[in-house]
Amino acid sequence: MNSQIKKGILDLCVLALLEKGDSYGYDLAGNLARKVEVADGTVYPILRKLASEGVVSTYLQESQNGPPRKYYHLTEAGRNKLNADRDEWLKFCGEVNDILSKETGGKADE
Amino acid sequence: MNKTEYVTKLTNELGHMPYGDVKDIIQSIEEHFDEGISEGRSEDEIAASLGDPKELAAEFKDGVKFKQIMKKRKMSDNFKGPDGRGRIFVIVFNAFVGIECWLILLFAIIAAFCCLAADLAFIGLIVAGLITGVLTEFIVPFIFLILTMICVAVFLVALLILGIKYYAKGLKSYIRWNKNVWNYGLGED
Repeated sequence: MNSQIKKGILDLCVLALLEKGDSYGYDLAGNLARKVEVADGTVYPILRKLASEGVVSTYLQESQNGPPRKYYHLTEAGRNKLNADRDEWLKFCGEVNDILSKETGGKADE
Repeated sequence: MNKTEYVTKLTNELGHMPYGDVKDIIQSIEEHFDEGISEGRSEDEIAASLGDPKELAAEFKDGVKFKQIMKKRKMSDNFKGPDGRGRIFVIVFNAFVGIECWLILLFAIIAAFCCLAADLAFIGLIVAGLITGVLTEFIVPFIFLILTMICVAVFLVALLILGIKYYAKGLKSYIRWNKNVWNYGLGED
């Protein structure tokens, strides 16, 4: 997919992953890269940006093996943003699909 | 690429980001490596899946740019006409400190240029003297003198290159800072 389009929508994907529960960088990177074709590193600049906007907060938690992990938590503002952006995105997708799908495209030609 | 190489490359690519930000970023990337290693993945494999450090650094820098834009927007939201104190500060500061400092540095660079020119001229004179046979005595000391002068010339060239580079860079950010104070006043928020 075009990287510009992808970039804009990845913030939303990260927020959606955090909606399921708090998580740490490595876990989020894996979850994101498994579903969308991006490098594992991509998630970190996004997390930083989201944290600076106040839509996610961070805290440290001990892990069983090794040093404490930095966990990310979706704030109330983040939840609101996620819901608003998700609705907008789904609506937009629906509209684009209508235009792109072959059936309606064919009908319009006739 | 192993962990150390990746982290070094990323640090270099991040350039002159504030130290705290770089530290924070590097910490999260090191954490990523450690998690992967504890899962039994190799450092090379983790580095490859993280993506090109240059591109990653660019993405981090984009984030900073974004923050700066937001800050500027916030500033212009609170903007209630030009801040008189900021303008007076810029004028007074430049009149008594700013311009003087930059002029002194400029003279230092010009002086270094003159030294270099004199040094090269001196070398040229001695070499000419040796070749044309005007200088017949003390040939060995003169050769040593030339070698010393060449070392001085190399040192001056390096100094000038670095000096001019940082002078231009510094002057650019100094002007940017002045503009900021001029337009938005001294307030930090």
